[in-house]
Amino acid sequence: MVLQELGGKLTAALQKMQSVTVISEEVLDKMLKDIAAALLEADVNVRVVGQLRKAIKTRAALEEEVAGANRRKLIQRAVVDELVNIVDPGVTPHEVKKGKPNVIMFVGLQGAGKTTTIAKFANYYQRKGFKCCMVCADTFRAGAYDQLKQNATKLRCPFYGSYTEADPVAIAAEGVAQFRKEKYEVIIVDTSGRHRQEAALFEEMQEIRVAIEPDNVVFVLDATQGQAVHEQATSFHEAIDIGSVVVTKLDGHAKGGGALSAVAATGAPILFLGSGEHFDDFEPFVARSFVSRLLGMGDMSTLVKQ
Amino acid sequence: NVGNLLNNVAGSQTLTKEEIEPVMADLRKTLLEKNVAVEVADAVTKSVADSLVGQKVERFGRASTMIKQALAAAVERVLTPKRSTDVLREVLDAKRKGKTYSIVFVGINGVGKSTSLSKVAYYLKEHNIDVMITACDTFRSGAVEQLRSHAKCLDVELFEKGYLKDPADVARASLVHAKQAKKDCVLIDTAGRMQNNDKLMRELAKLVSVNTPDLVLFVGEALVGNDGIDQLNMFNKSLAQFCSDGRTIDGLVLTKFDTIDDKVGATLSMTYKTGQPIMFIGVGQKYTHLKKLSVNAVVNALFK
Ligand SMILES: Nc1nc2c(ncn2[C@@H]2O[C@H](COP(=O)(O)OP(=O)(O)OP(=O)(O)O)[C@@H](O)[C@H]2O)c(=O)[nH]1
Ligand SMILES: Nc1nc2c(ncn2[C@@H]2O[C@H](COP(=O)(O)OP(=O)(O)OP(=O)(O)O)[C@@H](O)[C@H]2O)c(=O)[nH]1
Ligand SMILES: [Mg+2]
Ligand SMILES: [Mg+2]
Repeated sequence: MVLQELGGKLTAALQKMQSVTVISEEVLDKMLKDIAAALLEADVNVRVVGQLRKAIKTRAALEEEVAGANRRKLIQRAVVDELVNIVDPGVTPHEVKKGKPNVIMFVGLQGAGKTTTIAKFANYYQRKGFKCCMVCADTFRAGAYDQLKQNATKLRCPFYGSYTEADPVAIAAEGVAQFRKEKYEVIIVDTSGRHRQEAALFEEMQEIRVAIEPDNVVFVLDATQGQAVHEQATSFHEAIDIGSVVVTKLDGHAKGGGALSAVAATGAPILFLGSGEHFDDFEPFVARSFVSRLLGMGDMSTLVKQ
Repeated sequence: NVGNLLNNVAGSQTLTKEEIEPVMADLRKTLLEKNVAVEVADAVTKSVADSLVGQKVERFGRASTMIKQALAAAVERVLTPKRSTDVLREVLDAKRKGKTYSIVFVGINGVGKSTSLSKVAYYLKEHNIDVMITACDTFRSGAVEQLRSHAKCLDVELFEKGYLKDPADVARASLVHAKQAKKDCVLIDTAGRMQNNDKLMRELAKLVSVNTPDLVLFVGEALVGNDGIDQLNMFNKSLAQFCSDGRTIDGLVLTKFDTIDDKVGATLSMTYKTGQPIMFIGVGQKYTHLKKLSVNAVVNALFK
């Protein structure tokens, strides 16, 4: 992960402020400009960057009479808080509970990493002792069922799907009903990749949701993507109530800013980060520590804790 | 809206650097919103600014036409390919000489390599080329079955050795087979890999250097952000470093144009530095959703 690179730039911008005695309007503007530049290079949505800049400025103006070192701290805290706000909407994500069926439906753009993430998700909860299973409601993509089947087999995880049934709603309904009856605890439903420009695909997604009544809808987001994911995420959110987000492909060089701003668009918390193609390349997401890593931390840690 | 940017400047005699500065800041922001990578947005803005400074503005409103023209010229300069993008002609040339033409598809995970390969197979087959598909993604679950399903739909031969084999060996065996079977063109699919994964980049370079394909196509998404430039640079660098003949990527396929509306910036980001041509674009999930890039369409989308 090269988040550190972004972190380094942000820290440098903040440190520049450290080295001057008076934080003039000019110094503040320069710092905000540096921070905006770093965030844009990390693919954070242009509008989200604009909002962040404004929010920090407003807070700095409110505290204008505060002098010297305190003012510096306040501004730094504003930067950290606003960054945390991007990645942490302050909502408690759905928690998988033992002893009852938890139906989790995965959605997202084509190739984002849904099918792979489902295997990681099953692996994660299997290890925690949950009875997991998978349903393949992707009847569109060539080889989709084989992909899920091979992963499930490697994980010794029961699965449901069909080579002949073409209706994903029917498969999802049947598979989930069967696994509910069999008292599985984590019932994971894979769906085809889709995008907002094709209304029929979104309708299909809504029909699947109605048919299986999921406890959580997970939106899978690719960290390498740029400015267009914001609209995609917004549309997914409008079409289906997104409960949580997983950001994938963070093992590359991408900083994931596009994905992070998409989180801002959905208001849904990030649940996990994907950092590779293997089942273990998966870690729970913690907003505060994510931002501290983003900032390269050091003396910032005290600010982040509060 | 780029078109309106210069309206407030018009009326003065000769454009100065100071005058156009705020306008250039707006242009840069517009480019960023259209998903142009930061360094490329900076460079394009500078080149537009350079071409405007010192120009005379006589009539009100002409200024916005000038910026449009300057931007269009800059975009055209970036997007005009420096080599032929006519893959079909190259395949036909090889066929006439009785040679088997080979294309390798490379790129990071999930961008649309296998789908684009299938679209190219369809396209070539439509032009009476006898195509074979080789499954060298021997890693990702379902990768072989995915291609088998496409091969069946397209009624073309699939060459595969299952999973966990060295992809360079599979490719070599398939080329030998294709030659014997007198195939016109072999399309070789590879596993997705992150540009910074040294082990996998070496594996890919080996496949390329051992098999010396006629064309190495880098597949990227139109959705990609600033990372796209890094992907392309690193794939080029790894190939050059680990292939004895120092070869690099020959061209690009950019996919998923149907998902980005007017945010077409990746076309500029990906071609700006390397000048590597965009051979095809993907505009959907069907076999027919393969097109040639229209420079005009990109310019229009930027002005939207
Ligand atoms: N490097 C890396 N690759 C990943 C990660 N997550 C998924 N992938 C890869 O991304 C590619 C696409 O993943 P899939 O799981 O097939 O994506 P999908 O969203 O199910 O795709 P569709 O069903 O076609 O929409 C595969 O090559 C995966 O191995 C990750 O965190 N890191
Ligand atoms: N909307 C849209 N989807 C596309 C396009 N090209 C490919 N896809 C979809 O993107 C997803 C991934 O495509 P693949 O061809 O499997 O991608 P890949 O690069 O081979 O993936 P890996 O082999 O796992 O690295 C599939 O769901 C495709 O249908 C396109 O032009 N538009
Ligand atoms: Mg899938
Ligand atoms: Mg593939």
